[in-house]
Amino acid sequence: MRLSVILLFLFTLFTNGQNTAIGTNEKLTYTASYNMSGILTDIAQVTMQTSSIKTSKATLLRLKCNAATYSKWDNFFKIRDLYESYVNPKTLTPYLYNRDINEGGYYKAMKYTFSHKTKTVKSVQTKKNNNVENKTISIGYGTKDIVTTLYHIRLFDYESMINGDRKSFTIIFDRAETKAQITYLGKETISTALGKKTCYKLAIGSSSNVLQGNNNNLLWLTDDANKILVYAKFKIPVGNGELKIKSASGLRN
Amino acid sequence: MKRLLTVLALAASILSIVLAVLPVSNLAIIPAIGALLFGLTAFYLSKKAGQVKKIIQFTFLLTSIAITISIYKSIFDKTEVTDTQELIKKENETKEEAIEELESLDLDELEIDDLKIE
Repeated sequence: MRLSVILLFLFTLFTNGQNTAIGTNEKLTYTASYNMSGILTDIAQVTMQTSSIKTSKATLLRLKCNAATYSKWDNFFKIRDLYESYVNPKTLTPYLYNRDINEGGYYKAMKYTFSHKTKTVKSVQTKKNNNVENKTISIGYGTKDIVTTLYHIRLFDYESMINGDRKSFTIIFDRAETKAQITYLGKETISTALGKKTCYKLAIGSSSNVLQGNNNNLLWLTDDANKILVYAKFKIPVGNGELKIKSASGLRN
Repeated sequence: MKRLLTVLALAASILSIVLAVLPVSNLAIIPAIGALLFGLTAFYLSKKAGQVKKIIQFTFLLTSIAITISIYKSIFDKTEVTDTQELIKKENETKEEAIEELESLDLDELEIDDLKIE
């Protein structure tokens, strides 16, 4: 009996944080809507895609997210954003992160090269007119970029969590570390474009002002082995909106 | 009172027309309802006084055009992403640059030499 408990504990230690949810050819497409005077208006399409990247030394996982406004908005406020991260496919440890945003004429690019041995991130920020700025930032253990974090929350074992349980993590965004946490709020069945799905309902919060309120930013992850994000509600300083899944393909399980 | 309601009806109907032609055409319904309410009240009061001004009927016309445009757009307008060539080009460029960058990183430090995707 004691041996089986020890074995179970070791198994839990070994499997915790290992990628069993994210495949190498996964594509999730979402519609982002913004609340205007109480009416939700579809603004943009968000795509989250994974692919395998081979270098001469290793095989990595590329996590790519892009956001593009629907054509009807392009003449008013055109958004073409690209976020990507190159990570260890087993543990989702990030090595390289790229952010290239083009929002209504505002351009900014950011590159992070992670050095986990020295716990530093070399950043290169490029703005309009090729204004380049280099900076090295010290990071803590387990700090991840925003894209990796979005995928990493899918690796948590929610089955073993009870309502109110929290998981904390650190995100590096705009060359600064931000503490964030997710709170497990139980299971909920919701209607999605993929059919009715039983989901883990999570509240996400951060120490910065990006996400407003305590339980205003909510995520719904399917309670299957893939734990894909099917619905999200967010409240940011400029308003609130939601993210709804449109399609999913190439799922791992 | 009649004049105020007529002005409000006119303002609301113009606003609904403006919103109807913008991408936020679904928002046009809010001022359109306001325009109808103000317009109908102004029409009723004017009829009671025995003189209905043409401007009230004009607000009804504007409001109905706004509602028609809004309904048409909600049924026939496609929500699709176009003009993504630049984004795709950017994605390919950053991918190539990233591979070069990853090649130059010290992979022993990364401890990923034995990694293979399951």
